Amino acid sequence: MEVSTSSAFNLGILDTLTDDSIQEISGSYDGFCAATEALLNGAGDLSVGSEFVAHVHALCKHGLDSLVRDHFLRALEETFQRNGAFKFWRHFDPYRGSSELQLKNSNIGEDEVQEVLCKALEEISTEKQYQEKCLLMLVHALQSFKDNSSDGSHNSHSERVHLFSKYQLLVSSVLMASLPRHFPEVLHWYFKESLEQLSTIMAGEFDGDYDDDESEIQDKDDMALDERSKGSYGAGKMEIDESSIQGRFSENNKLVKNIGKVVRDLRNLGFTSMTEDAYASAIFLLLKAKVHDLAGDDYRSSVLESIKGWIQAVPLQFLHALLAYLGESTSYEDVSSGLKSPLASHPSSFYPGSETPSEGLVRWQLRLEYFAYETLQDLRIAKLFEIIVDYPDSLPVIEDLKQCLEYTGQHSKLVESFITALRYRLLTAGASTNDILHQYVSTIKALKTMDPAGVFLEAVGEPIRDYLRGRKDTIKCIVTMLTDGSGGNSNISGNTGDSLLEELNRDEESQENTGLDDDFNTDDKQAWINAIRWEPDPVEADPLKGSRNRRKVDILGMIVGIIGSKDQLVNEYRVMLAEKLLNKSDYDIDTELRTLELLKAGSELGDTALPMDILDATILSSNFWPPIQDESLVIPQPVDQLLSDYAKRFNEIKTPRKLLWKKNLGAVKLELQFEDREMQFTVAPVHAAIIMKFQDEASWTSKNLATAIGVPVDVLNRRINFWISKGVLAESIREDNNHVFTLMEGMVDSSKNVGNSGNCEELVADDEGEKSVASVEDQLRKEMTVYEKFIMGMLTNFGNMALDRIHNTLKMFCVADPSYDKSLQQLQSFLSGLVAEEKLELRDGMYSLKK
Amino acid sequence: MAAVNGYAETNNTTAGPNAAPAKQPLPPAKTVDSQSVLKRLQSELMALMMGGDSGISAFPEGDNIFCWKGTIIGSKDTVFEGTEYRLSLSFSNDYPFKPPKVKFENVCFHPNVDLHGNICLDILQDKWSSAYDVRTILLSIQSLLGEPNISSPLNSQAAQLWSNQEDYRKMVEKLYKPPTA
Repeated sequence: MEVSTSSAFNLGILDTLTDDSIQEISGSYDGFCAATEALLNGAGDLSVGSEFVAHVHALCKHGLDSLVRDHFLRALEETFQRNGAFKFWRHFDPYRGSSELQLKNSNIGEDEVQEVLCKALEEISTEKQYQEKCLLMLVHALQSFKDNSSDGSHNSHSERVHLFSKYQLLVSSVLMASLPRHFPEVLHWYFKESLEQLSTIMAGEFDGDYDDDESEIQDKDDMALDERSKGSYGAGKMEIDESSIQGRFSENNKLVKNIGKVVRDLRNLGFTSMTEDAYASAIFLLLKAKVHDLAGDDYRSSVLESIKGWIQAVPLQFLHALLAYLGESTSYEDVSSGLKSPLASHPSSFYPGSETPSEGLVRWQLRLEYFAYETLQDLRIAKLFEIIVDYPDSLPVIEDLKQCLEYTGQHSKLVESFITALRYRLLTAGASTNDILHQYVSTIKALKTMDPAGVFLEAVGEPIRDYLRGRKDTIKCIVTMLTDGSGGNSNISGNTGDSLLEELNRDEESQENTGLDDDFNTDDKQAWINAIRWEPDPVEADPLKGSRNRRKVDILGMIVGIIGSKDQLVNEYRVMLAEKLLNKSDYDIDTELRTLELLKAGSELGDTALPMDILDATILSSNFWPPIQDESLVIPQPVDQLLSDYAKRFNEIKTPRKLLWKKNLGAVKLELQFEDREMQFTVAPVHAAIIMKFQDEASWTSKNLATAIGVPVDVLNRRINFWISKGVLAESIREDNNHVFTLMEGMVDSSKNVGNSGNCEELVADDEGEKSVASVEDQLRKEMTVYEKFIMGMLTNFGNMALDRIHNTLKMFCVADPSYDKSLQQLQSFLSGLVAEEKLELRDGMYSLKK
Repeated sequence: MAAVNGYAETNNTTAGPNAAPAKQPLPPAKTVDSQSVLKRLQSELMALMMGGDSGISAFPEGDNIFCWKGTIIGSKDTVFEGTEYRLSLSFSNDYPFKPPKVKFENVCFHPNVDLHGNICLDILQDKWSSAYDVRTILLSIQSLLGEPNISSPLNSQAAQLWSNQEDYRKMVEKLYKPPTA
């Protein structure tokens, strides 16, 4: 624009030029050039000023004012390049090619960089100020010419603004064009160092406030800083009133002022964004280090508050001071003045020395907090598995994570990472089913805290459930866990206390209580409160699954969900209940009743309607007892007499009912008296019958003994091991290959029996095969026998069959109890078992009988 | 209608040989019964599978429980030792009040079995009783193999040869074709 109008103007006056005027123009142009030269290189000498002004006036008279401006600016540029930029960059030459890492390692360079940067900036600023003075002179010269000539319409102010903005552009373009690659790194490093110094000073205060450990940064620093921070540490501990904060603030003032000056100088040179990048990245780096430092591997305490506190205490104070020093530069408002965050309307009140925080500062705070949340969240998500392992203790950390996620909304990150960790660390063959279940329950609880709607739980729980379904002992473990948290099963690793079910129900009760409250106060006010409390489902929620199911996280339901069929759970529980009832010597079944009621209550509350009515009838009708292992047993005459007497009386009173004893079931309390000791046991009837026989005779052959108590010899040999292991009986083999058992009267091997002597009462731990009730595995085996017979039957008549034909045929015809409900995979593994047993053959995908 | 249903109910549960009163017309019973036939066949299958009788077996074919395949193995110490015969059993809706149709599927050289596999056995015709079931049918046929009824032969050649057990055995081996799947 400017050029085209001036050239047109020039062309217009070319015709009117006389030789004289040409002479004058060239003369004054030469003079002008020389004066410019002298002025710019004059190093503060402004003596040529008047001459310069005269030449400018002369040239302007001929309408050559644009030429004057262009030439002057070009001259400025050249000079600046020579005197300013070149010299400026030369200061940083020593750092050329050295990476940040090297800078960090060389401790000598620490103060040096600061000094060099300050010096370089000072130099170039002086140079710039001088040039600006020269430029101002030109502006004045042009101005005075215009004032002299009659048309005073020209605005002096716009002339100056125009020239200065051109100059500013020129300066930054010169610097940018010659920018060495390592300069941003130098800047970054400078800010990092300065901030670390500052944070050390402030951290001293901060640690005093929060009673925290000494930060690592502090350790790294030299003695002088350490002492200083310790001094302030004491001060901070004494009182944290306004004056102390003020005092600390002034202490840092010098450092902040230095930084502020550097920032201002850099901005003046046009490095605004680069500077901001540098100190922002330095702050973030420091913040990251701090978060990592605070959030160690201790999950018992919340760190979020202290991180927030630190953000307030260190980086925000620094920024506050910086912004205050720079006089609230407009650069922030320029960026996004309209985008004021809703959170900015209620910022924290902890801003020393200022009443209302500036918008820039608030934005910084939001940025920093988000970054801190994200860093902490990533850190915690990576360790979520360990955190959940420590579940009840790690609750503070989980609360932290919850807050972080609310802020960042990166739940999917959590789900993905946690599932990976689960697959890698939990769902392996090496983990015991109990451990997996406990972790599952902890996961449920922990995620419930984090996400009450249970959306992420669904995603995370799925792999665990899938895996557990593949394990044989899952059902047993679940039932054990549900019904008896403390003992019974010795391999349960959990802590003693209530059963899981009781715990769950306590939660349910409290949930329900709040529910009841809601029902009682159904006035408008309460309804309004409820409406306010409503929260939408998280975005990640799968709409197909329906939101109503998610309202309440039903732990029992989720656990029963693992099993798949509720019948299986009930079956297993039935077996366990039967076992428990049989082993009771008193009639105290309160705990069992309670568990049963809890199970029923739980099943009603949850979505899973367990057919618990079966259990109600369990005790009354033999139809509902699981198959009981029938074992013949001749119990000792006196006891038998008592039992039949009892049965007779029962019959008399309750005619026509009869009492039929299951003599091999139950528990017997025994007290054995020896010459020198007494022993107490609680054992199965068969054990009691065995030992009773030794009352009459001290030694029995296994054959005779087996006949006497009416059990097979192999059963006797197995059962009698119990007494041998207790040191009550001894086994020897006679010449005729008969085993002889002898009563150990007196302490033969005292060292062996020390643990058992005296009054010791022991509950016989039934090992496998000694259970009085058929276990679920036995039932399963029985089921499979039925299937085996069916498979044999069909193969006899059809020759050979493919897997799916067997499957379909079983499905169709094996409908009576137990009906066929296995999957194709289960059938396949069963069939391959039969092939291994050489009952079947598999050829070309067809099964046939092995002939 | 209710009366009829009530009758059908009792008829099903007490499935004895003389449970069907002669006066009562049969058609209504026929229509109601298919469900109970199904149940009866299923329980027979269960019993057969769990019974574990050696040498006899049967299983419903395809997806139709009214059509069974049976297998009989020739008893020891008879001329049929070592042979295996495949039978087809087809049940009607009147079962167990009517006997199933039973045929040999592979050739059986026997006085009471014709060349098409038809069997002449009294309990499969006029002597049938609803107390019989698949298991007893199979056992009867198995014993029929060793103890034919020479007086009313379907295969007169076999009946004549029966007296010479050695030649008969040779004939059985010559004509025997193991059942195919």
